[in-house]
Amino acid sequence: MSERITRVQIPMEEMGITPGSACQGCGAALAARLAFKALGPNVIRHGIPCCPDTVTATPQVGGVFEGGGALLTGTSRGLKAIGREDVLAVGFFGDGGTYDIGFQGLSAAAERNEDILVITKDNEAYMNTGNQRSSSTPKYAITSTNPVGPNSRGKGQPKKNIPFIFAAHYVPYVATTSVAFPEDLIAKVNYAKGIKGFRIIIIQSPCPVGWRFEPEKTIEIARAGVQSGIWPLYEIMDGKDFKLNYKPKELKPITEYLKPQARFRHMTEAEIAEVQEDTTSKWQNVLKADEMGRVVI
Amino acid sequence: MIEIRLHGRGGQGAVTASRILATAAYEEGQYSQAIPMYGTERRGAPLTAFVRLDNQRVRERMLVHNPDISIVLDPLIAKQQAVVDDLKEGGLVLLNTAESPEEVKLGGDFKVATVDATTIALETLGRPITNTAILGAFVKVTGAMKLESIEKAIKKYFPGRLGDMNIAAVRRSYEEVKGPIQAVVKSGSQEKIDINVGGYGVLKDVSSWRVFTPEIDVDKCIGCKNCWIFCPETAIQWDETKKKPYIEYRKCKGCGVCDNECPVKAIEMVRVEV
Amino acid sequence: MSYEVMVGNKAAATACKLARVQVASAFPITPQTTITQYLSEMHANAEWDFDFVNVEGELTSQVVVQGASRVGARTFTCTSGPGLLYMHHPMQTTGSGRLPVIMAVVHRSYKGMQPDHSDLMSQEWTGWSHWYVEHAQEILDTLLMAYKVAEDPRIRIPIAVGYDGYVLSYTAEPVEIPDQDLVDEWLPPPKAIPEILPDKVDPSTFGRGWGGGDPQMAWKIHHDVILKIEEVHKEVMDSFEKTFGRRYGNAMIETYKMEDAEVAIMAMGTIAGTCKAAVDRMQANGKKVGLIKLRSYIPFPNKDLLEWGKKLDGIAVVDRSICPGKGGPSFQKLRDTLFDLKDKERPKMLQFHAGLGGKEVRVRDFEMIGDKILKVAKGGKVENLVTWV
Repeated sequence: MSERITRVQIPMEEMGITPGSACQGCGAALAARLAFKALGPNVIRHGIPCCPDTVTATPQVGGVFEGGGALLTGTSRGLKAIGREDVLAVGFFGDGGTYDIGFQGLSAAAERNEDILVITKDNEAYMNTGNQRSSSTPKYAITSTNPVGPNSRGKGQPKKNIPFIFAAHYVPYVATTSVAFPEDLIAKVNYAKGIKGFRIIIIQSPCPVGWRFEPEKTIEIARAGVQSGIWPLYEIMDGKDFKLNYKPKELKPITEYLKPQARFRHMTEAEIAEVQEDTTSKWQNVLKADEMGRVVI
Repeated sequence: MIEIRLHGRGGQGAVTASRILATAAYEEGQYSQAIPMYGTERRGAPLTAFVRLDNQRVRERMLVHNPDISIVLDPLIAKQQAVVDDLKEGGLVLLNTAESPEEVKLGGDFKVATVDATTIALETLGRPITNTAILGAFVKVTGAMKLESIEKAIKKYFPGRLGDMNIAAVRRSYEEVKGPIQAVVKSGSQEKIDINVGGYGVLKDVSSWRVFTPEIDVDKCIGCKNCWIFCPETAIQWDETKKKPYIEYRKCKGCGVCDNECPVKAIEMVRVEV
Repeated sequence: MSYEVMVGNKAAATACKLARVQVASAFPITPQTTITQYLSEMHANAEWDFDFVNVEGELTSQVVVQGASRVGARTFTCTSGPGLLYMHHPMQTTGSGRLPVIMAVVHRSYKGMQPDHSDLMSQEWTGWSHWYVEHAQEILDTLLMAYKVAEDPRIRIPIAVGYDGYVLSYTAEPVEIPDQDLVDEWLPPPKAIPEILPDKVDPSTFGRGWGGGDPQMAWKIHHDVILKIEEVHKEVMDSFEKTFGRRYGNAMIETYKMEDAEVAIMAMGTIAGTCKAAVDRMQANGKKVGLIKLRSYIPFPNKDLLEWGKKLDGIAVVDRSICPGKGGPSFQKLRDTLFDLKDKERPKMLQFHAGLGGKEVRVRDFEMIGDKILKVAKGGKVENLVTWV
């Protein structure tokens, strides 16, 4: 598992070429900046359709939306064929390309244990095309395809548990991270960089436009998500060993996370209570897994 | 046919303004075409929209390259010479600004009208969204359509109380607009900031995105590096010898994350000079 | 040099070995399936240093070879019918990306399992070069030539080589296998153009495409490059004959007994072989009918067909596919090519549809076609422009 680092150990060198064309306060732009800071130059970066985040000083290969897993596989196998396994094939994808249209290909790549690193900037909807729901969108969130009206309370289904789904492929490394916890994020990318096989890191990347909050609050909201337990930070090795990296004595109430985001503004007290209950219950699960040091899958 | 170009920011309703104009025109039996400028419009980025008005169905399906009228919804963008680029000779520019037409520094052969739509919007709507506020002024200075048509169109887009508030904004700007007068300055300034800053990839300078600018009081700084690590654009750099941050302003979009994350309030977001 | 009696699919797998393909990826689909098995066996037996990626679907197989080709590895994939349709989306990325991927398309109608050319013909717009071959030897030889053409720095375009399923993929014929040493000398190792490795990539673009400028230019450049394949393909055919002792016409077309022909039948794939037998019979009976076997559909042999068109009184075009609502592809293309000939130079042309949905095409069918075109060429009235055989 990853080794903890402190702020002074965060590398000073930037891999990003800025300014980019992302929105003010874009969480994904910061996610890209931090991830590639840790990765360094000896990578080939793969992109599929998604929002602009941060352009990096790395070779770039693009592919079809549904082909993220396949493209990384091709590069990785090609690098092996030409004797350049020192170069890392890394994908920087959105939740659409990871959880939905890209899921089949990534699941297959995970099953084959391809030697690739997938990093997902999770902003919980198809943001580039104007905020349409994805399977990563949390329950009750408003999106342009899940608006609120007499027939709808926002998204009706819970967020898909992607980290555990990939862990159930028994891959070497699955980790969750947040832009509000840069030391944890960089430590995990460092660890992933040093091992082989299929690795996936999900980065919580709040979106001011889609989640509807003022851009200055991007980090504040990410932090509230982690501290309220709705976005736990953990690592799973080989679909077996489990470590919870951030364990506050007490969770902050979920309202601290929900209230500042207008995508949740319509929620009733009962709905908020439901989300609190669900969050607390799922938190108990990760606490239990951490206690045992393993997941039961 | 009248060709209009609108300038605003992503998320401020320039596209809605163009639709309202087109709808109002149709109320009077006039045909129209409302075109957003496609690209990826990012929150805060300057953008452009177009409207054509005619007494028959508009056939041309292309951008407006030489507008008769330029309407500027944002008071900072209103300072940029680029808003009068390619305006037809003898055309008109309508600016959202507190300046009077005589004080406007944009230069060329066109007429200038001004209205402080931001203040009107703040006072009637409680938010500085000027897309409807400016339309009253538009109707007054151009006579292109009746005020009632604009109000009817607004009701289509904003029902109920919201519609009434927007209509109040429209009526005020109708009364308060100044000009038009012939532009005082005869030719434009050389310096230009790019106001079509969007699309994918690396940009040169995003200063025009800022409505607020961060200012660092380095004496208060305790060296925690929060501002440095959390800046999405790496606009805040870290001076290793002084152990203090400094800002590369061409990279700064004015998002305010640095101010929000500084534990000692060493950074303040200051309103950009209007 | 050795030989083996092998089915068409084995000829394809053997070509991969001779070409020293580095990364192959495929998903099984009838009638291509055994290629994936041959390659898997060859991989398990370490017959040469290559990687075979078993994937979960055809779309993925296309993207895998795209990715590997991008970093500079020699790649191969193969599919049939609906599998080809499934990878339509990333096929255009391979084409637009100028990646020298070689793909065997083992023809399967997209209406059913038996062969016709609807699978590859329906992919006209993906920006690849399309070739069609007749027998197992030609499969092996053409795949080798495809690598040399695709990887030529003047070209860098993916090539699909189509051959009929079942009747060719699963039918055994003797195939001469060139010496590995000879192939190694003739086909040099591949390289990535442009370079994409971090220590070799151009730091001003980082391998990214560039935006801006006239958005039409990417299409024009792509179109012009594919047209240039004719020149390089002909060169490679000459070079292949010099090294290995075999050739197939001038690469674009292969003519059979056209020396004194008054009319020609134009056909692609295995049915062109059947037509050769029919030509022998017809000429023995004094009927001056020859065969023009169309090998390269994209780019189309405009120059060659213009020359032949001037000399001939009639051409019967046999399409083993039809675009529903539009018509037969090579018939329409031929008419377009010959449009500018003067009236008295332009041959009479008839459209035949044969073999669609895998329907068997026999020697006597071609004799019927020969009779019809002869009649019309000699001034007979055109009863039907289109005949379904």
